[in-house]
Amino acid sequence: MEIYLPIAEQSMNVFVLLGLGGAAGLLAGMFGVGGGFLATPLLIFVGIPPAVAVASQANQVVANSISSLQVQWRRGNVDLRMGLILLLGGMVGSSAGVTLFTYLKRIGQIDFVIAVLYVVMLSAIGTLMLAESLRTWLRTKRNPQAPRGKLHTHYLVHRLPLKMRFYKSKLYISALLPLGLGFVIGILSAILGVGGGFVLVPAMIYLLGMPTTVVIGTSNFQILFVAANVTFLQAATNGTVDVVLALLLILGGVVGAPIGARVAAKLPGVVLRGLMAVLVLAVAVELMTELLRTPASPFSLGVREVQS
Amino acid sequence: MASVAAAQQLPAPSLGNRADPTLPPAVPAEPATPNLIVDLSSARVSITSAFQGESLLLFGMFDPPGEIVVVVAGPPAREQVMRKERVLGLWLTTGRQSFDDVPAYYFIAASQPLQRLLARGAGGEILSLEDRLASVRPVGWRDPAQLARFRGGLVEVKRREGLYPAAFGQVTIQGGRLFRAELPFPSRLPEGAYDVRAYLLRDGKIAAVVSRPLPVSKVGFNAELAGWSREQGPLYGMGAIALALLVGWMGVAFMRRL
Repeated sequence: MEIYLPIAEQSMNVFVLLGLGGAAGLLAGMFGVGGGFLATPLLIFVGIPPAVAVASQANQVVANSISSLQVQWRRGNVDLRMGLILLLGGMVGSSAGVTLFTYLKRIGQIDFVIAVLYVVMLSAIGTLMLAESLRTWLRTKRNPQAPRGKLHTHYLVHRLPLKMRFYKSKLYISALLPLGLGFVIGILSAILGVGGGFVLVPAMIYLLGMPTTVVIGTSNFQILFVAANVTFLQAATNGTVDVVLALLLILGGVVGAPIGARVAAKLPGVVLRGLMAVLVLAVAVELMTELLRTPASPFSLGVREVQS
Repeated sequence: MASVAAAQQLPAPSLGNRADPTLPPAVPAEPATPNLIVDLSSARVSITSAFQGESLLLFGMFDPPGEIVVVVAGPPAREQVMRKERVLGLWLTTGRQSFDDVPAYYFIAASQPLQRLLARGAGGEILSLEDRLASVRPVGWRDPAQLARFRGGLVEVKRREGLYPAAFGQVTIQGGRLFRAELPFPSRLPEGAYDVRAYLLRDGKIAAVVSRPLPVSKVGFNAELAGWSREQGPLYGMGAIALALLVGWMGVAFMRRL
C-alpha cells in the first residue's frame, strides 16, 4: 500500500516506513539514542531527499524520546538534574555548532568533515564500547562472585570545582562535566544533524560514570529537546518537515520504543552495552562502505527553484 | 467535458462558380489551416494521497494527410546538479552547477520516428530534448567541457526519475485522421503549469499547432499540508512537534493496555 508524501513529493510504501520507524523506536527504547544515525541514512537509501529525511526524522525522534522517557520516568530512571545541565550545555553547543557548520559550508569543506566525523566517531565509540563490554563480560564469567567493577577510574577531571550531587546517578561530580559534554554533543548535533545519542550515551557511561539504567532515560530527556529544536528550525526556515512521513515513522516507533525499553530492563548492563557497540560499529562500517563504494551515478539533483 | 482545443480557422475559400461572369476570377484565398483537434483523458493531473504516477491519454483528429508530433513540457526552474568525485579514496560531493530555465518534464511522442520528421526541416519550433536543453543557462562560469558533463548529469538524473522519458512515445493514427498517444507521468512529479502541444506535419512542415495547458497540482489534504509547511513554517513546526509528543505519549499508554 502506497501513500504520497506531500513535502518529499513522492509516494512510498506504508509498511516500509512503519518498519523503519519501528526499528528506530526500538533503538530509542533499548539504548536511549534518537535512532537518527540509523534511520536517516536508511530513509535516504529508500529515496527520500536528504533534507526532508533529516528534518522528518528529527520529528520522529521527538516521539521516540518521549515514549522511552515516559517508560523510564515511571521506573524512576531519569536524573532530571543531570538532564537539565546537559541540556543547558547542549543549547549553547548547538548554537556554536550552527555557526561552525555555516563556516565549513562557506569554505566548501562541510561534506568531507561530516563524512569523516561520522565514521571516526562511530568507529571509535563502537570499538571502545565493544572492548569494555567484552572485558567486563569475560571477567564476570571467570569469576562470578567478583563485585561489579567501576566503569571509569578517577581522572583529573574529578578534581574540578562546582561539584554537585546527582542523586539518581549516585554521583558527586563537577557540574562542568555534564555542561561540557552537553556542549560537545550540541556542536555534533548541529553539524551531523542528529540527536547525538550515540555519542551521549557512551559518554555518560564512561566519562561521567552514570549507571546504565539511568543513562537511557536521562539521554532521552536531552535528545527530546534537541530533536524538537531541530524540527522547529527545519520547519520554520526550510519547510522540509514532511508530517505525513513523520507520522508514519512515529506510529512505527510507538510500537518499537516500549518493546525496546522492556528488553533493556531485562538485560544486564554489560549485554546492553555490547549490543549497542555492535550496532554502532555496524553503522560505522555501513557508512564507510557508502563512502568507498562507487555510486551508481556520480550525479544527483539538489533543490529546485521555480521560475516563471 | 473539458474544453476541446482546436486549430485556428481562416475563412473558407469562396466557391469557383460566380454569379457575374464579367468580373475577373477571384484570387484564390490562402488554403485554410487544416483541422486539428486535441483532447486529454483528464484536464489536470491531481496529486492525491494515492498518487503513484499517472498515464494520461491524449487523443484527437485531423484532416489527412499528415503526421502528428506531441510535445509535453513542464514549467521551467532553476535546478542544481551535484557531482561526486573520489577524494582520497572517499566519494564526496565536489561540484555543484545550477542551470536556469530547465523544464521540469519533457516528453515527445510522434507517429513516425522523430529523426525522419525533423530532418526534413520541421525543426524550428519542435525541439528535441537536446535542442531544448541547449537553451538552459548555466549560473556562474565554468569551462565548457565541465558544463557539458554537468548537463549530461542533469539529463541522466531526470531520466532516472522518469521526468525526461528516454524513449519517444508512439502516436497511433487510425484511418488517417484519428490519433492517440499515452503521456507517462512518474510519481515524483513537480507541480506547475505544464504545456501540451500537438503539431500536424505535412511534407516536413508544420501545418497546424494546438496547444493547451495541463495543470499538475496536489489536491486536498496534501495541498493543505504543503501550503502550511510553506507559508506557516513555525506554526507547522510546532504542530509537528505537538503531534509527535501526543502520539508518543499516548502510544505508550495504549501499548501498556495491550
